[in-house]
Amino acid sequence: MVTNSSRQRNAVFRAISDPTRRQILGILRGGHQTVGSIASNFRMSRPAISKHLRLLHAAGLVDTQKQGAASVCSLRAAPLRHVDDWLNDYHAFWSDSLQSLKRHMEKK
Amino acid sequence: MHPASVREDTIVQQIDIAAPAAKIFAALTDPRELLAWWAAEGRFRATHVDTDPRPGGLWRMHVVSERAISPAVTIVHGVYRVVEPPHLLIYSWIREEDDRTETLVRWDLEESRGITTVRITHSGLVTEHLRNRNNGWPLVITLLKAFVEQPA
Repeated sequence: MVTNSSRQRNAVFRAISDPTRRQILGILRGGHQTVGSIASNFRMSRPAISKHLRLLHAAGLVDTQKQGAASVCSLRAAPLRHVDDWLNDYHAFWSDSLQSLKRHMEKK
Repeated sequence: MHPASVREDTIVQQIDIAAPAAKIFAALTDPRELLAWWAAEGRFRATHVDTDPRPGGLWRMHVVSERAISPAVTIVHGVYRVVEPPHLLIYSWIREEDDRTETLVRWDLEESRGITTVRITHSGLVTEHLRNRNNGWPLVITLLKAFVEQPA
């Protein structure tokens, strides 16, 4: 369970670590788009864009649906919660640690 | 306890402690002291600590999570960057399970009339994780904020 969630988190961090993939997320923020129209924003090949989309899909950040011959992609922001959780874990950790340091120092 | 603050990739927290800065500095660098205090009941505790508090010196800590069903050990380690007792301590912080992402921990100690304000700044939490910082990060923050702030 922990491993699974940490794997998901790593997938999200990996997905958003690339400028092209972040740009794709930005494009999808404006609404769903076909793979072809996403690719038209970039100079790289369509297979290269498809590869980026697969990574975003694997991280749960992009949903793809077949509509006739075209694949339509849409944004799913929910997995970005992992980024937020990652910060919150550290918040709790440091807060607990400081309280503990205070107790330790003041009991003497 | 002062309210915590986040600036995207940085956590800042501070606390006032009724003890001299020099004693607190020792508690932050002496392995026996660290083992004695670095724990939170029922949540986590340090079980092994090695330190070499001089610039370039290594430190290493094993932290056991007590919340997990079976206790899981996390290894955290790094390199001392700045060691200026009793006011400033900076070291890198690498948690093995997080793709060995290097982040930075900074302790500022300010003593006044028997009270020391201890401030911890943990930075590079997200940006270092992302490695590629040149563009697009504000967009991700915007997406994240929009998601987190949306009604459930």
